[in-house]
Amino acid sequence: MSTTTHDEDVRAQLAELLPRLRRFARVIARNVHDADDLVQVAVEKALTRAAQWRPGSRLDSWMFSIMKNAWIDEVRARGRRERVHAPEEAGLGVGDASAAARDIALSVQAAMARLPEEQRMAVALVLVEGLSYKDAAEALEIPVGTLTSRLARGREALQALLDPGGGSP
Amino acid sequence: MKFSDEMLMAYADGELDAGTRAEIEASMARDPEVARAVERHRAMSLRIRAGYESIAQEPVPDRLAALVAGTAAAPVVDMASKRAGRGSKTARWRVPPWAAVAASVVVAVVGVLLMRGTAAPYEEVDGVLVARGPLDEALTTELASRPSDAGVGIGVSFTDREGNFCRTFHLRQDTPVAGLACRSGAAWELRVLADAPVEDGEVRPAGAMPVPVLEAVDAAIDGEPLDAAAEAAARDAGWRKARNVAE
Repeated sequence: MSTTTHDEDVRAQLAELLPRLRRFARVIARNVHDADDLVQVAVEKALTRAAQWRPGSRLDSWMFSIMKNAWIDEVRARGRRERVHAPEEAGLGVGDASAAARDIALSVQAAMARLPEEQRMAVALVLVEGLSYKDAAEALEIPVGTLTSRLARGREALQALLDPGGGSP
Repeated sequence: MKFSDEMLMAYADGELDAGTRAEIEASMARDPEVARAVERHRAMSLRIRAGYESIAQEPVPDRLAALVAGTAAAPVVDMASKRAGRGSKTARWRVPPWAAVAASVVVAVVGVLLMRGTAAPYEEVDGVLVARGPLDEALTTELASRPSDAGVGIGVSFTDREGNFCRTFHLRQDTPVAGLACRSGAAWELRVLADAPVEDGEVRPAGAMPVPVLEAVDAAIDGEPLDAAAEAAARDAGWRKARNVAE
């Protein structure tokens, strides 16, 4: 396969993935501008490293991993000089949804925003993006056991936030 | 045998091997508390998934589409400086090295941009998601079909172990999804939603479902799917519960 074909293949698949990359970014960054900047940084990194992606492997997992690292670099670069944005700041991604869907989105996204970042990422990859535990663990570069416990703790917190009183009897 | 909540979560997520699955299913059949715990995990997954659904339906910003297509000068992004410069017009621009690459993928991206979301196909009622609008309409009135003008395709219909009718469906929208809905009273409750990949611009035939939906069907189905005659009879009878199952 020629390099050109490989690059075009990556670009075509990235074009299809963009809505999902934006969705994952919105879980991490919690505000639309930072989220789309994160997608842009990750896409730029992916295009310069396109040769490293093996055709036939999952491009989504690879992209999520790049996004996770880009975000960590970004937070580090900022040196925690500012608190990562309050979720209220322009952030909630309810788009053009109807009132009913907006209610769901608002409550879910507000609850997610209160989770620690590592739990948010685990919940986002498994519950929102539908990755297996194994693929999600690889994308986050952590053992499956760690992924599982982050996911369990995140879900427990969401249950308490979204369904108070509806938890364990 | 007692299962940890983490184990029940993994079961709800379809992560366990067949042997462990069977043990948990036996435990669910014996102990309604275990069954309820699994149901809580499933309901939470569905709710979180639905909470982010609208983002995937938003139009992708031009700058990202153009960057991927390699057709436009993309701004250099350094997130910290961008944040500082937001509101003022201080973004630096350069022509990226891939700017000359063919533009064919833009067509696909523009196609996505042209389709916009319609009314929400579901709504939350007392903590569960129920079908609304064209989805509710199609689940109630359509027989197995390809996606209609309203964008809904119906797959298989069957009864679950409680005797409720359940149907799989495809929703054709910006990011196509597929799911499983089960009749509960006068409403269709959504049990699972998953991305449904598009092939050659066509949503796959209604029979071809993403893995999470297939797993949900496997977990819920009692016996075989309905044949065409049974499906029509169930529809004509208003999807009333097929029979009562003793607790």
